[in-house]
Amino acid sequence: MLNFNSTIKQKKTYSDIKIEEIEPIIKINLRSKKREFSKKIGKILSILPPTEANTSSGNEDYNLLWLSPDEWLVYSNNKNQSLKEQIDMEDKLFDEISKLNQGAVTNVSDHWVMINFKGHKIYDLLSKSCPFNFNEFKRKKGSVAQTLVNHVDVILHNKYDNELNLFVRRSFSEDLWLWINDSARFI
Amino acid sequence: MFIINCPYCGERDQSEFSCGGEAHIERPKQPTELSDDQWAEYLFMRKNIKGIQFERWNHAHGCRKWFNVVRDTSNDKIHAVYKMGERPPLK
Repeated sequence: MLNFNSTIKQKKTYSDIKIEEIEPIIKINLRSKKREFSKKIGKILSILPPTEANTSSGNEDYNLLWLSPDEWLVYSNNKNQSLKEQIDMEDKLFDEISKLNQGAVTNVSDHWVMINFKGHKIYDLLSKSCPFNFNEFKRKKGSVAQTLVNHVDVILHNKYDNELNLFVRRSFSEDLWLWINDSARFI
Repeated sequence: MFIINCPYCGERDQSEFSCGGEAHIERPKQPTELSDDQWAEYLFMRKNIKGIQFERWNHAHGCRKWFNVVRDTSNDKIHAVYKMGERPPLK
Protein backbone atom coordinates (compact mmCIF):
# COMPACT_ATOMS: atom_id res chain seq x y z
CA MET A 1 0.00 0.00 0.00
CA LEU A 2 1.11 3.56 -0.78
CA ASN A 3 4.19 2.32 -2.54
CA PHE A 4 3.85 4.98 -5.20
CA ASN A 5 5.61 4.59 -8.47
CA SER A 6 4.77 7.44 -10.80
CA THR A 7 4.30 6.64 -14.46
CA ILE A 8 4.78 10.23 -15.57
CA LYS A 9 7.65 11.84 -13.63
CA GLN A 10 7.50 15.08 -15.59
CA LYS A 11 6.23 18.64 -15.44
CA LYS A 12 5.31 20.39 -18.64
CA THR A 13 4.67 24.03 -19.41
CA TYR A 14 3.10 25.31 -22.61
CA SER A 15 1.74 28.74 -23.43
CA ASP A 16 -1.02 29.26 -20.84
CA ILE A 17 -1.01 25.63 -19.65
CA LYS A 18 0.98 23.95 -16.89
CA ILE A 19 0.62 20.21 -16.38
CA GLU A 20 2.11 18.02 -13.68
CA GLU A 21 1.35 14.87 -11.80
CA ILE A 22 0.67 15.40 -8.09
CA GLU A 23 1.89 12.49 -6.00
CA PRO A 24 2.00 10.91 -3.53
CA ILE A 25 -1.45 11.66 -2.17
CA ILE A 26 -3.95 9.28 -0.64
CA LYS A 27 -7.16 8.54 -2.55
CA ILE A 28 -9.98 6.53 -1.04
CA ASN A 29 -13.14 5.28 -2.66
CA LEU A 30 -16.26 5.24 -0.45
CA ARG A 31 -19.49 3.42 -1.17
CA SER A 32 -22.62 3.30 0.95
CA LYS A 33 -26.38 3.56 0.86
CA LYS A 34 -26.82 3.82 4.63
CA ARG A 35 -27.99 6.93 6.47
CA GLU A 36 -25.41 6.70 9.23
CA PHE A 37 -22.64 6.87 6.65
CA SER A 38 -22.73 10.65 6.15
CA LYS A 39 -22.51 11.30 9.89
CA LYS A 40 -19.54 8.98 10.24
CA ILE A 41 -17.68 10.59 7.36
CA GLY A 42 -18.46 14.01 8.83
CA LYS A 43 -16.95 12.96 12.16
CA ILE A 44 -13.78 11.48 10.69
CA LEU A 45 -12.98 13.90 7.89
CA SER A 46 -14.94 16.97 9.07
CA ILE A 47 -16.61 17.06 5.64
CA LEU A 48 -20.06 15.81 4.70
CA PRO A 49 -20.34 13.77 1.49
CA PRO A 50 -22.06 15.89 -1.19
CA THR A 51 -25.50 14.61 -2.15
CA GLU A 52 -25.93 16.90 -5.15
CA ALA A 53 -24.72 15.40 -8.42
CA ASN A 54 -21.47 16.65 -9.99
CA THR A 55 -20.33 18.54 -6.90
CA SER A 56 -17.70 18.20 -4.21
CA SER A 57 -17.06 19.29 -0.67
CA GLY A 58 -13.75 19.87 1.02
CA ASN A 59 -11.62 21.48 3.67
CA GLU A 60 -7.93 22.29 3.98
CA ASP A 61 -6.90 18.65 4.15
CA TYR A 62 -9.31 16.64 2.02
CA ASN A 63 -11.69 16.80 -0.93
CA LEU A 64 -14.74 14.61 -1.24
CA LEU A 65 -16.02 14.16 -4.79
CA TRP A 66 -19.49 12.91 -5.78
CA LEU A 67 -19.16 10.02 -8.22
CA SER A 68 -22.66 8.55 -8.10
CA PRO A 69 -25.56 8.58 -5.61
CA ASP A 70 -23.79 5.98 -3.47
CA GLU A 71 -20.12 6.51 -4.33
CA TRP A 72 -17.56 9.17 -3.42
CA LEU A 73 -13.83 9.71 -3.82
CA VAL A 74 -11.72 11.26 -1.06
CA TYR A 75 -8.32 12.69 -1.88
CA SER A 76 -5.82 14.60 0.12
CA ASN A 77 -4.68 18.16 -0.61
CA ASN A 78 -1.48 17.68 1.28
CA LYS A 79 1.40 16.17 -0.64
CA ASN A 80 3.55 16.27 2.48
CA GLN A 81 1.18 14.28 4.68
CA SER A 82 3.16 11.53 6.39
CA LEU A 83 2.55 7.91 5.58
CA LYS A 84 1.45 7.31 9.16
CA GLU A 85 -1.20 10.04 8.97
CA GLN A 86 -2.51 8.59 5.73
CA ILE A 87 -2.71 5.08 7.13
CA ASP A 88 -4.36 6.32 10.33
CA MET A 89 -7.05 8.10 8.33
CA GLU A 90 -7.70 5.05 6.19
CA ASP A 91 -7.83 2.80 9.26
CA LYS A 92 -10.34 5.11 10.96
CA LEU A 93 -12.60 5.03 7.91
CA PHE A 94 -12.21 1.28 7.57
CA ASP A 95 -12.98 0.62 11.25
CA GLU A 96 -16.02 2.92 11.33
CA ILE A 97 -17.52 2.01 7.97
CA SER A 98 -16.34 -1.27 6.47
CA LYS A 99 -16.04 -3.19 9.73
CA LEU A 100 -19.49 -2.08 10.90
CA ASN A 101 -21.13 -2.91 7.55
CA GLN A 102 -21.96 0.73 6.88
CA GLY A 103 -20.38 0.67 3.43
CA ALA A 104 -17.12 -0.02 1.64
CA VAL A 105 -13.79 1.77 2.03
CA THR A 106 -11.19 1.04 -0.65
CA ASN A 107 -7.76 2.59 -0.93
CA VAL A 108 -7.35 3.55 -4.58
CA SER A 109 -4.17 5.64 -4.24
CA ASP A 110 -2.32 3.46 -6.70
CA HIS A 111 -5.32 3.01 -8.97
CA TRP A 112 -5.76 6.66 -9.93
CA VAL A 113 -3.08 9.05 -11.15
CA MET A 114 -3.84 12.70 -10.47
CA ILE A 115 -2.72 15.26 -13.02
CA ASN A 116 -3.01 18.95 -12.18
CA PHE A 117 -3.82 21.44 -14.95
CA LYS A 118 -3.34 25.19 -14.58
CA GLY A 119 -3.84 27.95 -17.11
CA HIS A 120 -6.31 29.86 -19.20
CA LYS A 121 -6.51 27.32 -21.99
CA ILE A 122 -7.02 24.08 -20.08
CA TYR A 123 -10.61 23.75 -21.23
CA ASP A 124 -9.60 24.39 -24.84
CA LEU A 125 -7.13 21.55 -24.50
CA LEU A 126 -9.58 19.08 -22.95
CA SER A 127 -12.34 20.03 -25.38
CA LYS A 128 -10.19 18.79 -28.23
CA SER A 129 -11.16 15.24 -27.39
CA CYS A 130 -13.89 15.33 -24.77
CA PRO A 131 -17.66 15.10 -25.35
CA PHE A 132 -18.41 16.99 -22.10
CA ASN A 133 -19.82 20.54 -22.15
CA PHE A 134 -17.55 22.58 -19.88
CA ASN A 135 -19.65 25.79 -19.86
CA GLU A 136 -21.20 25.22 -16.45
CA PHE A 137 -18.33 23.16 -15.06
CA LYS A 138 -15.76 25.93 -15.41
CA ARG A 139 -18.01 28.54 -13.82
CA LYS A 140 -18.68 26.55 -10.67
CA LYS A 141 -15.77 25.94 -8.30
CA GLY A 142 -15.82 22.42 -6.90
CA SER A 143 -17.63 20.90 -9.87
CA VAL A 144 -16.97 17.25 -10.62
CA ALA A 145 -17.42 15.42 -13.91
CA GLN A 146 -16.75 11.89 -14.98
CA THR A 147 -16.29 11.69 -18.68
CA LEU A 148 -13.96 10.64 -21.48
CA VAL A 149 -10.84 12.38 -22.70
CA ASN A 150 -9.34 10.88 -25.81
CA HIS A 151 -11.53 7.78 -25.16
CA VAL A 152 -10.03 7.35 -21.68
CA ASP A 153 -12.22 7.45 -18.55
CA VAL A 154 -11.37 10.39 -16.32
CA ILE A 155 -12.68 12.22 -13.27
CA LEU A 156 -12.37 16.00 -13.41
CA HIS A 157 -12.43 18.26 -10.36
CA ASN A 158 -12.62 22.03 -10.78
CA LYS A 159 -10.33 23.19 -7.99
CA TYR A 160 -10.08 26.94 -8.63
CA ASP A 161 -10.55 29.27 -11.59
CA ASN A 162 -8.47 27.85 -14.41
CA GLU A 163 -7.16 25.01 -12.31
CA LEU A 164 -8.42 21.45 -12.28
CA ASN A 165 -7.34 18.01 -11.18
CA LEU A 166 -7.78 15.11 -13.55
CA PHE A 167 -7.83 11.53 -12.32
CA VAL A 168 -6.99 8.79 -14.77
CA ARG A 169 -6.46 5.08 -14.23
CA ARG A 170 -2.76 4.26 -13.86
CA SER A 171 -2.70 1.91 -16.83
CA PHE A 172 -4.09 4.62 -19.11
CA SER A 173 -2.10 7.49 -17.64
CA GLU A 174 0.94 7.29 -19.87
CA ASP A 175 -1.17 7.14 -23.00
CA LEU A 176 -3.27 10.11 -21.89
CA TRP A 177 -0.16 12.03 -20.84
CA LEU A 178 1.31 11.60 -24.33
CA TRP A 179 -1.95 12.75 -25.93
CA ILE A 180 -2.16 15.79 -23.61
CA ASN A 181 1.37 16.88 -24.42
CA ASP A 182 0.91 16.30 -28.10
CA SER A 183 -2.30 18.34 -28.17
CA ALA A 184 -1.06 21.11 -25.89
CA ARG A 185 1.60 22.03 -28.42
CA PHE A 186 -1.07 23.23 -30.84
CA ILE A 187 -3.25 25.24 -28.44
CA MET B 1 -24.79 11.25 -31.94
CA PHE B 2 -27.38 12.51 -29.47
CA ILE B 3 -27.66 13.81 -25.93
CA ILE B 4 -29.03 11.63 -23.13
CA ASN B 5 -30.28 13.14 -19.88
CA CYS B 6 -28.86 10.80 -17.23
CA PRO B 7 -31.26 10.87 -14.25
CA TYR B 8 -28.25 11.16 -11.92
CA CYS B 9 -25.65 13.30 -13.75
CA GLY B 10 -27.68 15.39 -16.19
CA GLU B 11 -27.25 15.87 -19.91
CA ARG B 12 -24.31 14.03 -21.44
CA ASP B 13 -23.18 12.93 -24.86
CA GLN B 14 -24.28 9.51 -26.07
CA SER B 15 -20.65 8.34 -26.30
CA GLU B 16 -20.55 8.16 -22.48
CA PHE B 17 -23.39 5.60 -22.44
CA SER B 18 -23.92 2.05 -23.49
CA CYS B 19 -27.26 0.56 -24.47
CA GLY B 20 -28.41 -2.54 -22.59
CA GLY B 21 -31.23 -3.52 -24.93
CA GLU B 22 -34.96 -3.77 -24.43
CA ALA B 23 -36.35 -2.92 -21.00
CA HIS B 24 -39.10 -4.45 -18.86
CA ILE B 25 -38.50 -8.07 -19.81
CA GLU B 26 -39.63 -10.15 -16.86
CA ARG B 27 -37.78 -13.30 -15.94
CA PRO B 28 -40.17 -16.28 -15.93
CA LYS B 29 -41.11 -17.30 -12.39
CA GLN B 30 -40.64 -21.04 -13.02
CA PRO B 31 -37.88 -21.42 -15.65
CA THR B 32 -37.79 -25.20 -15.17
CA GLU B 33 -41.39 -25.50 -16.37
CA LEU B 34 -40.70 -23.76 -19.69
CA SER B 35 -40.08 -25.49 -22.97
CA ASP B 36 -36.84 -24.80 -24.82
CA ASP B 37 -38.72 -22.54 -27.24
CA GLN B 38 -40.27 -20.50 -24.45
CA TRP B 39 -36.92 -20.17 -22.71
CA ALA B 40 -35.24 -19.09 -25.96
CA GLU B 41 -38.05 -16.58 -26.48
CA TYR B 42 -37.33 -15.01 -23.09
CA LEU B 43 -33.56 -15.18 -23.46
CA PHE B 44 -32.91 -14.09 -27.03
CA MET B 45 -35.92 -12.66 -28.80
CA ARG B 46 -36.14 -8.85 -28.74
CA LYS B 47 -38.57 -6.52 -30.50
CA ASN B 48 -36.16 -4.19 -32.34
CA ILE B 49 -39.03 -2.10 -33.67
CA LYS B 50 -38.91 1.03 -35.77
CA GLY B 51 -40.56 3.59 -33.52
CA ILE B 52 -40.89 4.09 -29.79
CA GLN B 53 -38.94 1.52 -27.83
CA PHE B 54 -38.30 1.09 -24.09
CA GLU B 55 -34.61 0.50 -23.47
CA ARG B 56 -32.13 0.07 -20.64
CA TRP B 57 -29.05 2.30 -20.75
CA ASN B 58 -25.96 2.47 -18.60
CA HIS B 59 -23.93 5.62 -17.98
CA ALA B 60 -20.77 3.56 -18.44
CA HIS B 61 -18.26 6.44 -18.48
CA GLY B 62 -20.01 8.50 -15.80
CA CYS B 63 -21.90 7.42 -12.70
CA ARG B 64 -22.14 3.79 -13.95
CA LYS B 65 -25.85 3.62 -13.05
CA TRP B 66 -28.50 1.83 -15.08
CA PHE B 67 -31.74 3.58 -16.07
CA ASN B 68 -34.54 3.34 -18.63
CA VAL B 69 -35.03 5.40 -21.75
CA VAL B 70 -38.04 5.74 -24.05
CA ARG B 71 -36.47 6.30 -27.46
CA ASP B 72 -37.85 6.60 -30.95
CA THR B 73 -35.48 4.37 -32.91
CA SER B 74 -36.38 6.01 -36.21
CA ASN B 75 -35.01 9.44 -35.27
CA ASP B 76 -33.23 8.90 -31.89
CA LYS B 77 -35.60 11.30 -30.18
CA ILE B 78 -35.75 10.56 -26.45
CA HIS B 79 -39.26 10.90 -25.04
CA ALA B 80 -38.55 10.05 -21.42
CA VAL B 81 -35.83 8.93 -19.03
CA TYR B 82 -36.64 7.22 -15.73
CA LYS B 83 -34.80 5.33 -13.02
CA MET B 84 -34.76 1.58 -12.57
CA GLY B 85 -37.79 0.37 -10.65
CA GLU B 86 -39.93 3.35 -11.68
CA ARG B 87 -43.01 2.94 -13.83
CA PRO B 88 -42.71 3.75 -17.52
CA PRO B 89 -44.20 7.22 -18.15
CA LEU B 90 -45.77 6.30 -21.50
CA LYS B 91 -47.25 3.14 -22.89
